[in-house]
Amino acid sequence: MNATAPLPPPPDTGKAAALAARLQRKYADRITGVITQPAAPGRYAAFPDDLPLALREALASRGIHQLYSHQAEAWRAAARGEHLVVATPTASGKSLCYTLPVVAAAMARHAKALYLFPTKALAQDQVTELVELSRAGELGIRAATFDGDTPGDQRRAIRINGDIVVSNPDMLHQGILPHHTKWARFFEGLRFVVVDEIHTYRGVFGSHLANVIRRLQRICAFYGTRPQFILCSATIGNPEAHAEALIGAPVTAITQSGAPSGGRCVLLWNPPIVNPDLGLRASARSQSNRIARLAIRAGLKTLVFARSRTLVEVLTKYLKDVFDHDPRKPARIRAYRGGYLPTERRASERAMRAGQVDGIVATSALELGVDIGALDAVVLNGYPGSVAASWQRIGRAGRRQQASLGVMVATSDPLDQYLIRHPEFFSHASPEQARIAPDQPVILLDHIRCAAFELPFTIGERFGAVDPTVYLQLLAEDGVVYREGERFEWIDDSYPANAVTLRSVADGNFVVVDRTDGRQTIIAEVDFSSAPLMLYEGAIHMVQSTPYQVERLDWDGRKAFVRRTHADYYTDAIDYTRLKVLDEFATCMAGTGACQHGEVHVVRRVAGYKKIRYYSHENIGYGPVHLPDQEMHTSAVWWRLPQAVLDGLFASRQDALDGFLGAAYALHAVARVAVMADSADLQRAVGSADGAWSANGDGSGRGQLRALDGQVLPAAAIGQFTPAVYLYDNYPGGVGLSEPLWQRQAELVAHALALVRACGCRAGCPACVGPVLDDSIAYAVSPKAHAVRVLAAWHAS
Amino acid sequence: MTPTLAQLQALHAQAGARPRALPVPPLDAMGRSPRQPDVHTLRQWLRLRDPAPATPASGAVDRSLPGTEIAPGLRLIEARLPSPAPSRIAGAFDRRDAIDTHRVLFFDTETTGLAGGTGTRAFLVAASAWNQQGLHIRQLLMTTLAAESALLGEFARWLAPDTILVSYNGKSYDAPLLRTRYRLARRADPLAGLAHVDLLYPTRRQYRGAFANCRLATIEREVLNIVRADDLPGSAAPAAWKTYLHGRASTSLKRVLAHNQQDVATLAQLLPHLSTHAATQATRKGKVGTRLGPVAAITTSAERPS
Repeated sequence: MNATAPLPPPPDTGKAAALAARLQRKYADRITGVITQPAAPGRYAAFPDDLPLALREALASRGIHQLYSHQAEAWRAAARGEHLVVATPTASGKSLCYTLPVVAAAMARHAKALYLFPTKALAQDQVTELVELSRAGELGIRAATFDGDTPGDQRRAIRINGDIVVSNPDMLHQGILPHHTKWARFFEGLRFVVVDEIHTYRGVFGSHLANVIRRLQRICAFYGTRPQFILCSATIGNPEAHAEALIGAPVTAITQSGAPSGGRCVLLWNPPIVNPDLGLRASARSQSNRIARLAIRAGLKTLVFARSRTLVEVLTKYLKDVFDHDPRKPARIRAYRGGYLPTERRASERAMRAGQVDGIVATSALELGVDIGALDAVVLNGYPGSVAASWQRIGRAGRRQQASLGVMVATSDPLDQYLIRHPEFFSHASPEQARIAPDQPVILLDHIRCAAFELPFTIGERFGAVDPTVYLQLLAEDGVVYREGERFEWIDDSYPANAVTLRSVADGNFVVVDRTDGRQTIIAEVDFSSAPLMLYEGAIHMVQSTPYQVERLDWDGRKAFVRRTHADYYTDAIDYTRLKVLDEFATCMAGTGACQHGEVHVVRRVAGYKKIRYYSHENIGYGPVHLPDQEMHTSAVWWRLPQAVLDGLFASRQDALDGFLGAAYALHAVARVAVMADSADLQRAVGSADGAWSANGDGSGRGQLRALDGQVLPAAAIGQFTPAVYLYDNYPGGVGLSEPLWQRQAELVAHALALVRACGCRAGCPACVGPVLDDSIAYAVSPKAHAVRVLAAWHAS
Repeated sequence: MTPTLAQLQALHAQAGARPRALPVPPLDAMGRSPRQPDVHTLRQWLRLRDPAPATPASGAVDRSLPGTEIAPGLRLIEARLPSPAPSRIAGAFDRRDAIDTHRVLFFDTETTGLAGGTGTRAFLVAASAWNQQGLHIRQLLMTTLAAESALLGEFARWLAPDTILVSYNGKSYDAPLLRTRYRLARRADPLAGLAHVDLLYPTRRQYRGAFANCRLATIEREVLNIVRADDLPGSAAPAAWKTYLHGRASTSLKRVLAHNQQDVATLAQLLPHLSTHAATQATRKGKVGTRLGPVAAITTSAERPS
């Protein structure tokens, strides 16, 4: 709960702005964009008349004497009984939007509420705030977290007496719904369900959550309640549609923030080029380190986000080397990431809130609303994967309405390079759409199984919008449910929720077992789809930058046995993907070619691996990999060119292949932005539509054709040559990414073309069409130029 | 370096024990399946194997069950053992007052699984109580799922406000499970507020470390010298009931009935045994660690030294 009264400007208002100006002067060539958000006054509303007096006093005692306009709007919508979604920037006081109606209803009519947060830390923060508010006004509200850490002896009391139970989707799915009779009193009184940070529930996770909510609604109906949903989101392009997809009901969207903002300057920072031919840039790490150092020296409380845990440790060390060399003084720099013990994290949070820390290096663990007090500067070491997450992170600075600084430092990743050159993505309204596919058959079957365990299904009953009959028939055939008369009843001796993990695919993870010195220690987990790429026998597997070698992979047992090693190389899997079109759903013209979407069969094979020496990055050997193919049916969008156009554009098949590979690279980068997809969820491929051959880069900018058996073929050796660029959902059955890409295909092609054309490299680089070796002289036409030809042919002019 | 297709196919086949790929047709714009599949199609999408065809019933299958059907799908099986109630049961072993034998109801359930949660039900409930003639054992067996409501109703009628429930691990297992079933059937919980003596805890206190475990089967064998012939372990109960439900023979289910009947008969011996043993121990106060061997020949209260 943030104080709503405008505070007097703190004395250091100018420091962040001064540093921003200094950086712009000194590093103009590195700054590709400056986004200035002027300070905006707050828009306020008086406490609503129907707000209980005691709650009003409790708020007043915490320094809140009026509401922001969006909080008042949320109060009114909640009072009308509507489901609502609040999508306003970080630190705009979103939590009051649900706290007020929930606490007021708990006071007036003993209404109960369930809060869902994606992480335990957020849940604990929320309970702390609720307890403090309740204590301040002697409101008598009982709020408690209920998750895996809740001691057994407290669980019963929480189930029976809790007014506000704060949990997470996984706990609801595995711990609460399958035991709903124990929660009967809670469900009978349940009036509000609050789901915060809904922008994190997209793709597979979001599709699972939508089904958990269907199960929750089914249980509530059994107890005669129909709770109202209040959802909160970071700013995304489609908060209303996303919220409606999650809860399956119309939702009122509140998107205009009334919170004041103290002004912010955001710099988009591209590290300087150190090798123009290869398009090699200085590392983002060195740049982030430098900017953080300058900011901390300038007296700014600074938060650095890094994308990996290892990088957090590295950056922390670099900053500590500068600022914490005197061990007698309290530490000015702290690291914050997953994998630390909860007590350690709480201690860091307390130190930050108390203002004792000058620099924090964190993973996404700090992206969400964990309270760490006021900050002045945020440095993003690498694009966090979505514009929404970028703003969420940058928004961590400037909580006290003071001017703040944000710097996004691009890595050499194509997505980073694409975005850093398009400041409009950051300055305009968010283009990102959160997508889920709640009716995905694999996910649906999982949740209908769980739902049948919770309550029998009656013939004709729907599950969300779905007719579950066929799924129940399947479960009946397997002897899991039993149909008797009008009902399908659970009769199996199992607990189905334990077999369904919301955050990954159903097949379960591989565990990495360290056998060094006779140990049997699990040191890591790897999700199924990554396992063939990371855990093949011979692979060097890194954990906390310590190298282990995989000695044996037990594929069926989902275990990899590793041993500590001191190899001077790391390994990189050589994999390729073949697609075959099974069904075409729709076709449209794309320039002189066509764009289609439909169903595809994907076969992915890891053929071997390369050994690459550290630092020199030279290739010092190969190894074979013997693993089963990964097969799936999924949905895809693809682009093709008619034979005549193809022949007219390219002198040779090799040239065309290089062009298609480059175009695929650029389209993939652009598409990931459009649908907010992790690179693991959306993949690219180049190949023939009939699956006869596939193509992949050889790592130096030239394409290679591979036949069905994986053998490399000369391009001239195949009969018909009709290459296509595919972007496909990397999840069996698809998660709904391809179809919107097909609808936005013209926009994607235009952006991809602009990306490649605007790139400053000569023949192609990791920022546009993928890495190209420095033999540009050998090209009559560069791979980059080939890619431009392909994209231009698809570009409807 | 690249393995041959044949090699990889062989490996692929070996990995088939846990098929990974779950190909299914893509969804439409709203994330919905484009067509409504039939079960076979859905299996193909999800790469699930068709179920093994049910073994056809060979000739006459024995589906007979003891007892009488007192409601559609609900059978009542009764038995009487000529073992009269002990005159008095001291409650000190469970830290309570003397137990009135005429209020005692021993009970035990057989369930469709051990997983817990709302998907587990009691398909068989047994209770035994002392009356003038001896021990009266009643069992309620549901042979259809629809009979559950009648089963719960009938069991509730066996309980009086002053009933003292006696069970083995019933406080953590049978009673919460029944509570869940009553809740799901939208019926009041008849167990609420009743006195409940769970013999597991006093048994543990007396025999911890004496035997391999404190399961009822172990205790009755070691302490009460009860030897069961042709006993079906409780863990086989879910499968036995499911088999019968699917129209197959009642052979295993009848063994479950016998097992469950013995359980509530055993409880009626264990209660007096624990009660007197606690009293004996109390008189031997101070002799900590006395290892209690099997107590032979305690089968009726009449044989017990007073």
